[in-house]
This record gives sequence, structure tokens and C-alpha cells, in this order.
Amino acid sequence: MSRVSVPCHVKGTVALQVGDVRTSQGRPGVLVIDVTFPSVAPFELQEIMFKNYYTAFLSIRVRQHTSTHTPAKWVTCLRDYCLMPDPHSEEGAQEYVSLFKHQSPSMTFPKWLSHPVSCEQPAPLIEGLPDPSRVSSEVQQMWALTEMIRASHTSTRIGRFDVDGCYDLNLLSYT
Amino acid sequence: MLQEESDLSLIIAQIVQKLKGSNLYAQLERQAWASLQRPEIKLESLKEDIKEFFKISGWEKKLQNAVYSELSVFPLPSHPAAPPEHLKEPLVYMRKAQGSWEKRILKSLNSMCTELSIPLARKRPVGEQKELLNKWNEMGTDEPDLSLFRPVYAPKDFLEVLINLRNPNYENGDSLSFRTHLGLIQVPLKVKDIPELKEFFVELGLTTGQLGIDDSTQVPPELFENEHVRIGQKVLAEQDSAAAQQYIRQGSPTALRAELWALILNISSQPEDILYYEQLKTNVIQHDLLVDSLIYKDVKLTASNDDYYFVFEDYLYQVLLCFSRDPSVLGHFAYNSASPPKSYIRGKLGLEEYAVFYPPNGVIPFHGFSMYVAPLCFLYHEPSKLYQIFREMYVRFFFRLHSISSHPSGIVSLCLLFETLLQTYLPQLFYHLREIGAQPLRISFKWMVRAFSGYLATDQLLLLWDRILGYNSLEILAVLAAAVFAFRAVNLMEVTSLAAAEAVLADLSTLKVMPLLQIFLFATVT
Repeated sequence: MSRVSVPCHVKGTVALQVGDVRTSQGRPGVLVIDVTFPSVAPFELQEIMFKNYYTAFLSIRVRQHTSTHTPAKWVTCLRDYCLMPDPHSEEGAQEYVSLFKHQSPSMTFPKWLSHPVSCEQPAPLIEGLPDPSRVSSEVQQMWALTEMIRASHTSTRIGRFDVDGCYDLNLLSYT
Repeated sequence: MLQEESDLSLIIAQIVQKLKGSNLYAQLERQAWASLQRPEIKLESLKEDIKEFFKISGWEKKLQNAVYSELSVFPLPSHPAAPPEHLKEPLVYMRKAQGSWEKRILKSLNSMCTELSIPLARKRPVGEQKELLNKWNEMGTDEPDLSLFRPVYAPKDFLEVLINLRNPNYENGDSLSFRTHLGLIQVPLKVKDIPELKEFFVELGLTTGQLGIDDSTQVPPELFENEHVRIGQKVLAEQDSAAAQQYIRQGSPTALRAELWALILNISSQPEDILYYEQLKTNVIQHDLLVDSLIYKDVKLTASNDDYYFVFEDYLYQVLLCFSRDPSVLGHFAYNSASPPKSYIRGKLGLEEYAVFYPPNGVIPFHGFSMYVAPLCFLYHEPSKLYQIFREMYVRFFFRLHSISSHPSGIVSLCLLFETLLQTYLPQLFYHLREIGAQPLRISFKWMVRAFSGYLATDQLLLLWDRILGYNSLEILAVLAAAVFAFRAVNLMEVTSLAAAEAVLADLSTLKVMPLLQIFLFATVT
């Protein structure tokens, strides 16, 4: 399962406001981010990954060209997906989020984009623990991830804090 | 692979990786090899037979306890794209605040170093090493001149930093409005309200037996106490960490407490552990650290002056001096928002191969730090066991009380929880105290930072710490702080100054914590 990140161009946010008048009070609560894909070749989107910054709910709409004759249509893939359970508190405010293809009703890719989703189906819950032999084979797949985590952990030295017996220090350094 | 399954596999992979480096892994491997001699292990069904052997011999239980310990301590793995600092603390502004605070501490320590012309670390001459070794069990008799040393910081300095924490994305307005917090903490962290606390602390409810309430002299022991002790003995016989943690929510019998805490913290004194402690002791003998003087000063100022704890003065040095030299503590910085201070060997500034952490364990003690150790001296008398227990308590709980983070058990959340509980359920009292310039947090902060050590009577403190272990959370400290204010509300309503309010709350040594908690959570009309 090799996955590649698709080059995309993320435009700046545009606030949705009613009417033309910009009011100094009242900040708009809805912002729109346009994402375009410069490469024309069709691809199968598996995952959208981003870091949140105080967005409470997320909707994703996609414009898809079905054929050269019919005009492109906007379809909603995700509506009001909750990123922050309590928008007035910090929970989820700066989390890393991944959205997967299967979080829409599980269909093949073209169908996923061509049917507007009116309500989000919850991902199926797993019953009990996974089968151990299956897990141990999946552990191999996860190894790359754990290697990454291990590399980023503070290296703990067992019992030794000096350098070749010497612990004669300068002052503490501010990094 | 669905997201939930891959999350679970990731957690399993991470735990496996962590345990692979442990003593337990080596022991299990040895046991597995040794078991091949046994008649019931057949080659055709090797895997199943060894698994069965582990189950019967109790090794599976040890493994379960180790896994449970990892789950309790380590946060769940976050998103694969999240960098390590995200695991330490997800909110950028909190990380920045912690960084600034640390810089202040480092500057303070450096200036102490240069002003007093004392090196951060010094190798002891052989004569001095011998002398210290002889005096090891009575370091309290030493009276070094500590007058020039001052604690690096006190809790009230830390409180000022927390009061000034601001989320740059939070629209608060400059003037007081319905959106500003009435208390001192101004960051919008999520804290539990009383209905959620009632659910979380359900075992503290009115219909459940508690040690600290239902073992009082008026209550016949047949009603609760005897049965509870019997169950406790059974839990210890089974050697099951998870069961012990569940059991201790109702309190631990005094006779069983030391073993129960060790079981929950997954501490067993192996020969390797005793050897490791002896190695740390050797490090203390060989090198003198500036931090040692801070520890001496702290012990002399706090524990030695305390009626309950002065007898343990020597133990405190034996634990804290070794603690400072323990590099294995560095591991907890993976999930602590704080970072260990760095330095370089003299003359090798900037060369990474000569970079070291100072002190070796990365923890700079503050005023009152020794009070984290003192209550444990009532339970453990063997220095290496006492040391292990304290170290585990520190890397699981106490570090959260003096670092800036958004964690629900972090001191910032505890402060906000305390203030919110007080405002919501005792609004008149809160308003009154604010009006007279006695913000409640200014009084309760020091209780929470020290986990009430030195403020409560020891038996009450140990009952409180039972519940910290049982619920794997420090939130009970905030609830108790609010409950204390509720208890003394009538007197507090009559005071007209901060000093008078402090006086009402100066002496907590007569309080019984479990009734206070139970009444506040379950019996107060809201």
C-alpha cells in the first residue's frame, strides 16, 4: 500500500458574510479555504491530513468533472464534521486530523464523490479486540511509524550522565 | 484497515517496543527458555504451551501489569504527523509559556552560580568522598552554610506566570465583560463540572463504603471495614495492578497500603533495581552538584520544620540527591511539556558530543519539592524501594503540578477546575472573596502544587493520595480545595481582608478529607 502526497495549492481563507457591508463588530464564523490540484491526472484520494487551529466544524465540498459535456458539479463529502467537541474550550483546537475515504459511506471513489452526503454515517465500531495473529502482521506495517516515534523520543542514557567521566560544566545554556 | 484498528495496532506496537527494553522482557525470555525443560511443553504446540505456562506461573499477570502501567502513564499515540513537541503539549502558546518560564529558571540558576562562584558540578576529592560515604545515613546532622542559597522559585512565582497565560486566539476584550473569567486563570481549558465529577468519582458516592468515613470508631467494622480488608488481601494475592487500582478508590487499609501502591505503580524490588540505586548513590558520592544545596535548603526549610516529617530528614536526602542524578527520569520528558536544562562540558561549548543535561535527571527542585517525598517515608523504609516509589510517583503525577500544560491533570487545569467549581457552586463566597481582594486561588494554589503534603494530617493525606492512584488523576486535588472552602464558607464570608481569609484557611490539619469530598460532590444541594 504505497501512498503519495498529492501536490495541491491551498488558497487563503475567505470569510463568508451576509451582504457587502463589512461590520467591525461580529466576526464571521464561517471561513472557506479553496484547495486546487494543479496536476490534471486523476487520482484516488485516500486521506486528507491537516493541523487544526480553532476550527470547530468542517465541511468538505468537491467539484468534480464527470465528463466533458456536463458542467462540473459541487458535491458535499463531509458536512459539519466535529473537530472541537466544545468550541469555547481548547479540546481539539490544535490537533492533527486525518480524514479518510471510508468516513463517507463506504463506496468506491467515483461514487463517493458523486452522491451528496446528507448525514455522516459513523464508522463501524470494532467489537472486542482484534485477532492476535492479524495484529502481529499489522505490527510489521506499523513498524515504520514506531521507528519514527522512537527516533523522536528523548534518548535515555542508562546510568551515565557524564562524558567520559567528566561532568565539569559551564553555565546552563538557553536554546 | 479501519482507523480504529490501526490506532489499536499502533498502541500495541508502541507498548511492545517499550517493553522490549525492560527487565521484564529479559526475564520472560529466560523463563520461556527454561520452560522448554518442562514435560508439559511439547514441540508441536510450543507457542500455546508456553503461553499456558506463563498463565499458570503468574508471568502473564506480570506482563499484564506492565502493559497496564504503560497505558496509564503514556499518552495515547497521537497522529503520525504530529511532531514530538505535540505529544509533550499540543497547544503552541502553552509550549511557548513553558519555554519562557524555563528560561527564567535557568537564568536564575546561572546567576546564582556566578554570584556565589560555585560551579554547577564538581568532582569531590577522595577525602570528601570518604567522609560523605561515612555520613550517608545521617546527612541531616550536617549543617552546611546555606544562607547564600535561595530557592530557585516558590509556588507563588509560578502562580503569577499562570495568571498571565493567554490564548492569542481567544477574544476576551480588555474590559471586564461576561466573557472574561472571574478567577485568575484566563485560558479556556475544558474542565469537568459536578455532574461529570460525580460520574468520574462514582466510587466516592454516598452509598459506597469508604475508608476515611466508614472505618471510623462509631461504625462497626463488620459493616464495611473487615470485608474491604479481606478484598484487599485477595487483590494483593492476585498481584493484579488493574484490580488494585480499582480497589484503592475506596481507600487502602493502612497495613496493605505500601504493597498496594507498589502493585499499582508496578514496582517490584528486583536486584537490578537495588543495584541501580547503589549506582546513583555512587554518583552522589563522586560528584557534588549545585542543585544539592538547593535540596538541602529545601529540606531544612520545609520537611525538617514539620512535626510529622522531621524524623525522615535523612531519608529525604538519600532519595532526593539520588533522584537528581538519575538519567532514567529523562524519559518522562517525552510527555511532559517541560524540557531538561542543557549544558556543555567546560571548554566545549556548542559541541554536541559534549552536551549534557543538568541536573542529570533534568528536574530543578523548587521550594517545597521535598514534600513530595516526605509522606512516602511513612510507607517505605528501605531506601531503594522508597526511591523507586517516589520516582514513579513523580513521573506519573507530580511533574504535572509544576509545568505549564493543557493536560486535565496539569496544574493549569486544576486551578481552573477549582475556580470554576467555587464560582458555580459557591457564587456568593467567590464574589465576596474577590471583592475583598482575596482571590481564592491565591490561597489554594500552594495546597494543590504540593498535593496537600504538609497541610493535611498524614493519615488524611495518604487517603487522598490513595484516590490519586485509584483514579490516575490529580483532579481530586482541585475538588478537595473547593470542598475546603465550602466547609469554611461561613467563616470566610465574615472576613474583610486577604490576610484574614488566609488565617481562616491556615490550619487544615484537623480536616477529614473523605467526608469533605463526599459532601461537596454528592450531598450539596446545587
